Amino acid sequence: MRRLLALTQQALAAPPRNPRMAVVIGRLLAIAFLLCFGTGLYSHFLQEPEPWMRFSTVPAQLYQVTQGIHITAGIACFPLILGKLYTIYPQLFQTPPVKGPLHLLERASIALFVGASLVQITIGLLNTYQWYPWNFGFRQVHWALSFVVIGSLAIHIAVKLPMIARFWTRNSEGTRELRGETAADETPDAVVAPVGGVTGRVFRWIDGSPAAEPAVSRRGFVTAVGVSTATVVALTAGQSFAALSPFNIFAPRVKGTGPAGLPVNRTAKAAQVLDTAVAPDWNLTIANGSRTISMSRAELLALPQTTVDLPISCVEGWSQMATWKGVRLRDLLDRVGADTSQGLKLTSLEKKGGYRVTQMGPEYAFDASTLVALEVNGETLDIDHGYPARMIAPGRPGVLQTKWLSSLEVEA
Amino acid sequence: MKPARMTIVRIALIVIGLAGLFAGAVILVQKERPDQILGVIVWIGAAIIVHDGILSPVLLLVDVWMRRAGRRIPYAVLAIIQGGVVVGAIMSMLVLPEIYKKSIGSKNPTILPLDYGLNLALFWAAVAVLTAAACALYLRRARTRTAPVE
Repeated sequence: MRRLLALTQQALAAPPRNPRMAVVIGRLLAIAFLLCFGTGLYSHFLQEPEPWMRFSTVPAQLYQVTQGIHITAGIACFPLILGKLYTIYPQLFQTPPVKGPLHLLERASIALFVGASLVQITIGLLNTYQWYPWNFGFRQVHWALSFVVIGSLAIHIAVKLPMIARFWTRNSEGTRELRGETAADETPDAVVAPVGGVTGRVFRWIDGSPAAEPAVSRRGFVTAVGVSTATVVALTAGQSFAALSPFNIFAPRVKGTGPAGLPVNRTAKAAQVLDTAVAPDWNLTIANGSRTISMSRAELLALPQTTVDLPISCVEGWSQMATWKGVRLRDLLDRVGADTSQGLKLTSLEKKGGYRVTQMGPEYAFDASTLVALEVNGETLDIDHGYPARMIAPGRPGVLQTKWLSSLEVEA
Repeated sequence: MKPARMTIVRIALIVIGLAGLFAGAVILVQKERPDQILGVIVWIGAAIIVHDGILSPVLLLVDVWMRRAGRRIPYAVLAIIQGGVVVGAIMSMLVLPEIYKKSIGSKNPTILPLDYGLNLALFWAAVAVLTAAACALYLRRARTRTAPVE
């Protein structure tokens, strides 16, 4: 068995499978992972802020960009991680499989790293398709695994640091050795003695083949990884970035689709508001302690109207710019004497769901472009876009742009 | 990097790493039921099995076949074909689940609005054309280079 592993490893030796390539691809993958982690933390805390947290409301496209990067970098991880695994692939067959307790720990940590990373990007991708073939909560597990992946990455870098340093640049000691510019001070892994029987014949058959041309092989590998990454990004990122939308042939969302040219995530039917949203006695209640006002849609329309261009930016990465018209939230809050240091609790008409009741920090509540929107793109709000009234604020995730508003309560 | 500095960086990274693993485990235990945690473990295990047990051996066979084919076909041509297959395969890996999900239905028409099956077929056709063009270009250049000899 040990011999078989060694022979497999030898047979797999190929020019792109070297530590320098692992460092080059590994670096790109680490950047993609860190981009996903950073933008993921931002998205998480926007949705579940600590009480002391305040966020920037400018630029209004901030979340559109951070979440677009989150999803796009996540998609780019697929070719990068496969390329990275390819460069180190013969290691899978290393002999002896386990050299000691520390080595076992190292191999186990890499198994966890690879497994958790693959699951992380896979469930993230499937979430953008809104497909959940598992029994666990997506958000919770994606959140937990982000720490497992970044933790494993830190440990992996720590373990490999001497190797990474040796191959960091084109002119690092290890890279030059690899090019044959300096004599290697270590002898290569001992060549395995030939074996007889079927195994021996199979491997002699393999070894009888001409070796790959190193330069062509390396260039081919880098090109394949590069082109794959560029392709998956170019053909999907149009759901998030307008400049790429003409090339969007594979993303789960397309800009400009849906009522008023705006995609929908949760429909009125799914939120069970088909009756309550069109009820003639609908009122928006705005409360600050004991001061309460209640306004019908006609009364809201009679107030000074403001028009703003703000994107709907979904946690799933797609986004859509739109022109909204409605009443400035801060004008309504002034009517109940709210203070600019106070946040809000928003309640929707929807019957259930994690975002039925949400919080809004004062930085958003008193921003001049935050509206209780009544129209979008020149049309009355479609019921799937939150008729009779919805919230729209700069730089927030779509799930917090509460549709089918019912009440706004100023928090003490 | 000086050895002493490297040691400090390595220790710091391991501390950060262990803290991350610990945080991940705590969040998982706090937020998910035991059967759901088992589900996560099964998924991670399955990912390792799919990668180490299926993808890697398949790649091994492809590799061996490539090395054998290297006797008859110029290596660069093989590399170009391989590149084309890799690009198509990775795109398919992302799009096939999407095609399946669309076939079982979406919650509203703005989710998965495109004909992904058709687009994937057209994409493969484009990859095939570009790959063939790249091979032809390479062979023509190679012929001009080696013409006096062969």
